[in-house]
Amino acid sequence: MTGEERMEPLERLLNLVGLLLETPTPLTFDQIRDTLDGYRADNVDSAKRMFERDKDQLREFGIPLQLVDIDAWGTEQGYIIPKDEYYLPDIAFTPEELGALLVAAQSGGEDTRAEQAARKLLYGADGGVLAGLAGGPLASGSDARSALVLDCADSAQRRRRVSFGYRTSQGQEGRRVVEAFAMVFRGGHWYLVGRDADRDDVRAFRLSRFTSDLDDVGEGSEPPEGFRAADHVRAGPWAAAAEDHAEIAFSPKVAWWAVASFAGAREVGVDEGWIVADVPMADRRLLASLVLQFGPDAVVRTPSALRDEVIRRAEALDG
Amino acid sequence: MAEGRRSSPPKTADRLGRMLAIVPYLVQHPGSSLDDVARLYDVAPAQLRRDLDLLFMSGLPPYGPGDLIDVEVDEDDHIWITMADHFSRPLRLSRQEALAITLRAAELLATPGLPEAPALASALEKLRDSLGPDTAGSGEAIEAAAGGRPAEHLETLRRAARRRERITIEYFAGSTGEWTTRDVEPEEVFSAMGNWYVAAWDVAADDERLFRADRVRAVTPAGVTFEPRGLGGAGRALYTPTGEEVPVRLLLRPPARWIAEYYVTVDPVELDDGSLEVTLPAAQLGWVAALLLRVGADAEVRSPPEAVEAVRDLARATLSRYR
Repeated sequence: MTGEERMEPLERLLNLVGLLLETPTPLTFDQIRDTLDGYRADNVDSAKRMFERDKDQLREFGIPLQLVDIDAWGTEQGYIIPKDEYYLPDIAFTPEELGALLVAAQSGGEDTRAEQAARKLLYGADGGVLAGLAGGPLASGSDARSALVLDCADSAQRRRRVSFGYRTSQGQEGRRVVEAFAMVFRGGHWYLVGRDADRDDVRAFRLSRFTSDLDDVGEGSEPPEGFRAADHVRAGPWAAAAEDHAEIAFSPKVAWWAVASFAGAREVGVDEGWIVADVPMADRRLLASLVLQFGPDAVVRTPSALRDEVIRRAEALDG
Repeated sequence: MAEGRRSSPPKTADRLGRMLAIVPYLVQHPGSSLDDVARLYDVAPAQLRRDLDLLFMSGLPPYGPGDLIDVEVDEDDHIWITMADHFSRPLRLSRQEALAITLRAAELLATPGLPEAPALASALEKLRDSLGPDTAGSGEAIEAAAGGRPAEHLETLRRAARRRERITIEYFAGSTGEWTTRDVEPEEVFSAMGNWYVAAWDVAADDERLFRADRVRAVTPAGVTFEPRGLGGAGRALYTPTGEEVPVRLLLRPPARWIAEYYVTVDPVELDDGSLEVTLPAAQLGWVAALLLRVGADAEVRSPPEAVEAVRDLARATLSRYR
């Protein structure tokens, strides 16, 4: 192979990675140039520039290319890729687990990092992985920009203190300073949970209501004892645990859908074709709202407090 | 701290990433079929062949014939690779990659009824254990909180989408409150707002429709396959106005502002007391009336008069059930 031949950049990069992984001692640029054809072609300066670009590209890629002292006196430095920092540790995934990771990785939008991650994990898979994908593709949709989701998750994991613009569900806009603890995904929304510095209380912030990017403003703190992130993200009334129960009749037209849409609801009888269901009631006002949504296709039988609430609210609109 | 897309030429970077992942797989799986590997790594077989050709050129010093990676693709398209021991294991996951896959997994786990959920959860745990907290973070920092309801036929719908099979479904249309039976060609299954959706071609309507998977009561195969039309999946708008809608102007007091976040609305005007005025394009006035009945005093219809009337009629019809 003569130095005049143009070498494909990919080939040069693969050779550079291989060389620096296998070398027993760090190599200077001159030594690398002597060894690799890819840097021999042009004059020293352009070869050096090419090497700098390649090095940056490999580092951007996450390859731990390091510049270290070659001897104990530190008179000369050289490049090396430490094997223990390069190689992925062995992880014994089952084919089902790898299949599930691939499905998850491919479920996203334009950001490809999750897919890159999953592909790295495939190398040890046995032949079952392809079969494990039999479930078919899925996609998940979140309403937040993926860069913001990544930034928030990163801050939560590193317990950083962050600042951002925020508009509450009630429409008030302002700046928040939050010690990030965790991220929670619920009902198609990402929430950042952390201690609101001004209010000195743990709050949840929906990412789709952020009005700015995230600013890192310093070190945060550890969450309080017994902290459970999901507890701070309010669930819909249908998900709340309830002691009280209501009895609601649904018309045959909506019964299947209606009974299914109240968590914990079960059919307890049939009355002239209407389906009577027992529905857990955590919050009377919220349950009244959900029942009213079915209009004349739902009738509350008990308790009378819920019945009265529904009647009162319907009367207010029958003006 | 926001990390942009990488600046280097995407082609070389993509190919490098792919090779650093594929070569370890090939070393561990001698004789893999080219098509299987192409499918697993989502690369065109021809491109994979070109990348493999290039591998021949690389190796270790002194780069004699015995030092270069040896790749052989036999007549049955099985791949054999030797002299690539330095690439027998892939590069570690970066922090960003580990985060990205954990976040995606959480999004899927938060939508109920996913059959892969147990395997996904245990895979994440192994990943965290192996990569350590510096790369994979702590377990409790990213959580999926399940809500909503599982879709009974999720598996059947996914299978039909994968096999491109037309199916007959019994579907409850939320906007009209009616059960319908339709032949559909499902292309995409995705989650949004905590529910599973199916993007499909409705054969009778000869148009694209979006179905909520949990409102599908029954699925039967229609016995024919279809050519996909490339319908949009995740990230698409859940409702696309057709222009035929009635524009309903609403006043939303603070507790009802969620309506503007949840549904497609236009022309928002912020009022001094924290209320919001918006226009909701409504295909069915009955549906808007039901929404208004739900939020009661927290919202008001400004116009048109038919919508005001629809709310009053629905309230009256509801009251008649209690008299």
